Amino acid sequence: MEEAQNKPKRPPNVCIPWDEKHKEFPKIQGDTEIVKRTWEEIDALGYTFIWHCLVSF
Amino acid sequence: MAPDMEALYNERLTRYSTALQNGKPDKVPLRPFAAEFAAVYAGMTCQEVTQDYAKACKAARALAAGFDWDAIVGNMVYVWTGLTQAIGLKYYAAPGVEISSDTAFQYIEPPEDDAHMKPEEYDALIEDPTGFLSNIWLPRVSRDIVAPGEPATFRSHMAYLKGGMAMLQYFGALGEQNARLRVEAGMPAAIGGILKAPLDIIADKLRGYLGLTNDLLTMPEKVKEAAEALAPHLTAVALASSDPERKAPISFWMHRGGVPFVTTEQFETIYWPTLRLVIDALWAEGAQVLFYAEGDWTAHLERFAELPEKSIIFHLDRTDPAEAHRVLGHKFCITGGVPNALLSYGTPDEVRAKCKELIDTCAGDGGYCMDASAIMQNDSRVENVRAMTEFTREYGVY
Repeated sequence: MEEAQNKPKRPPNVCIPWDEKHKEFPKIQGDTEIVKRTWEEIDALGYTFIWHCLVSF
Repeated sequence: MAPDMEALYNERLTRYSTALQNGKPDKVPLRPFAAEFAAVYAGMTCQEVTQDYAKACKAARALAAGFDWDAIVGNMVYVWTGLTQAIGLKYYAAPGVEISSDTAFQYIEPPEDDAHMKPEEYDALIEDPTGFLSNIWLPRVSRDIVAPGEPATFRSHMAYLKGGMAMLQYFGALGEQNARLRVEAGMPAAIGGILKAPLDIIADKLRGYLGLTNDLLTMPEKVKEAAEALAPHLTAVALASSDPERKAPISFWMHRGGVPFVTTEQFETIYWPTLRLVIDALWAEGAQVLFYAEGDWTAHLERFAELPEKSIIFHLDRTDPAEAHRVLGHKFCITGGVPNALLSYGTPDEVRAKCKELIDTCAGDGGYCMDASAIMQNDSRVENVRAMTEFTREYGVY
């Protein structure tokens, strides 16, 4: 259980992991962290949609 | 002079919070969960409050204005069928559509041989729960969404697009509703966030109850692995939807995870250990969980008593109130216990007698909130709910 909790392939709040998406970008010229944070925040909305379909609706 | 709603809000919130922390407030708080009962009170149909969440919120505000309660749910008719129809979900019967306008929405259990997840799909769920839900489960439960590899369709794209936008709109409206309840009626939110047990989710939405029952006998290890794989995600959903100020508990809707729906061994080896991890993770974040224990959970009270003090609130449906208070009352707040059948078919005097019995049994040292046993639908009679409210206000004074 501990391993399942700590090392899932696609962790909670993630649909398309940043590490996977990052490879598709050209070399980021500015602040990578801003791009990463924005990607992850919007990606989490997709996670919210899928999991609330299961849990709430 | 208009009543000071902010002062009233603070008075009620203090009363409610004190009880949730198993303390003794000035009075026994009232925290009724009212779903389609709100429609009855506001003169609306079940169809209106299920199809149009703005009407449901308006009906809830009418309740907040009309009853001296201490906390309510902004919209207890939680399943907005506008959203479920946008996604094309197959498992609901909507009032005014598949069923009469005056019947509460129904969840349709899948046939045993046509469950939303096949028995051979456990490994796919365990390997990647989010991917499984998106790629296999959602296309299967939707009339419009197509699975990866199938030809793309306009309706599939629209189901995702409209469903996502509708969900954002709806969740945003629920936040606005809580703000209106505070300003217009001085009414705190009773709950924040949603949780279901890993094993319950497998029964409710994936394998169906009959399918899960078979699986528990034929491949219990796979079921446990699946519950373990779901646990961190259910934790994340509960936390993301919880009250950031930690004033309102996360609602945990307990369906069929206890005896007699499962055996004691299945509860002890699968349901409880996989749930316990979720509860501990939430408590580590300071989030209390309301165990909305539908049915009779008397057999499992000793297990719940092992949880950290004040980490949960235990709701009485058919669990024995005296036993719940004996086993849990020294650590946790207890809520509910007024039988819904009594609210539907009893007299106001019978309701008052039941409320007295509950207060005498469970509320002596604080740590109790008055409520029905289950969510009040359109069969609860206004005069009986009024009797529950007024008696608790008169008799439930410390």
